[in-house]
Amino acid sequence: MSDLRQIAFYGKGGIGKSTTSQNTLAAMCHYYAKKILIVGCDPKADSTRLILHEKAQSTIMQLASEAGTVEDLELEDVCKPGAGEFHSDNNDITEGYINCTESGGPEPGVGCAGRGVITAINFLEEEGAYDEELDFVSYDVLGDVVCRGFAMPIREGKAQEIYIVMSGEMMAMYAANNISKGILKYANTGGVRLAGLICNARMTDKEYDLAKHLAMQIGTQMIHFVPRSNHVQRAELRRMTVVEFSPASDQAMEYKELARKIIANDLKVIPEPLEMDDLENLLMEFGLEEEVDEENLGKKAEEA
Amino acid sequence: MFVCGYHFPADMGNDVSFDKVIEKVQDGIEAAGKSVTITSETREGVKLEEISVPEGSFLHTALVDYYTNTECAEKDGFKMVYYTNKYQISEISKSVDGDSTKTICKKLDDMNLYRVKVA
Repeated sequence: MSDLRQIAFYGKGGIGKSTTSQNTLAAMCHYYAKKILIVGCDPKADSTRLILHEKAQSTIMQLASEAGTVEDLELEDVCKPGAGEFHSDNNDITEGYINCTESGGPEPGVGCAGRGVITAINFLEEEGAYDEELDFVSYDVLGDVVCRGFAMPIREGKAQEIYIVMSGEMMAMYAANNISKGILKYANTGGVRLAGLICNARMTDKEYDLAKHLAMQIGTQMIHFVPRSNHVQRAELRRMTVVEFSPASDQAMEYKELARKIIANDLKVIPEPLEMDDLENLLMEFGLEEEVDEENLGKKAEEA
Repeated sequence: MFVCGYHFPADMGNDVSFDKVIEKVQDGIEAAGKSVTITSETREGVKLEEISVPEGSFLHTALVDYYTNTECAEKDGFKMVYYTNKYQISEISKSVDGDSTKTICKKLDDMNLYRVKVA
């Protein structure tokens, strides 16, 4: 039996979490033959589409609603094998495989989105989805940890190591710091640890420096800087990861390197989140924001 | 943590000294007499320039080490340099190589893609 590692990708909405997580997990499977279960915890249900070559997978919440209750579902109804090389029966390229499931959530504006996450994880555990063969279970979780439901994978010790996808933009860094606060809150009760920041670069000035120093100050590492590439978008149009679409491309190599690091990573820490002032100081230090005189606060560019 | 592709165990913390990294990079690498060339290109793949790296510098040794030890697809004798690695190599080189690599490091800090060839 392999030692199952439960990891999670958190990050601000729109930062590229699902793209980053799917490409990284695809690289772990393609190049390193890892056996993986993806549990999408985003109501958008887009955490598995590139692995499945589908628009969006039917979610546990959708299927439960159609069937009556979640108890009426079977594991096979909600857990699908990856397409092509990620299917467990296809060993042409890799011995690894990726199985996929999406928790889903309620209609926009109705109910608690986190409830889907809780229901999904409990169901998967009860139905034996976390089988002995798996090397990794990966949760892809929406946005800030502002809601009890979205904190569930870290709250109850499901996900042991958290990777925060961020960029050098202020709100992405703010969210990364906020997620660290959530991890800190549950670190002692659930055993969750921060395993690193992944900079999904926007290619802004001094982005590497910003990401690195934020990571250092929080107490973790910036494990990898993923450059922006049109290749990723080209692959996404075909509903594929760049790893599968073009495994020898420069961008696929970047994901391969990130995959290698995650597999070997042992730096898992209780984070030390920054105060807002410290975060702003960091942005000023690395030039994203010029230090602004008190008298210029709130003034338009042409006035200042 | 990981610096220049090397894994440093968790008990070394999240701020490994440059000395430790340099030691690891230099271990088992014979860089003397080798010529190191890097090229830069835009995200669209437009080649910008070709630069020779001065021998005897950390930058030179680190790139020989990268070329030798990194499992990365090779094209026309060149290997792409991971962005993380180019920033980390540049950071250390700026600290230990002084003026000899200052101009090259400034370039490495940009957003362009670099490739390296060792002959």
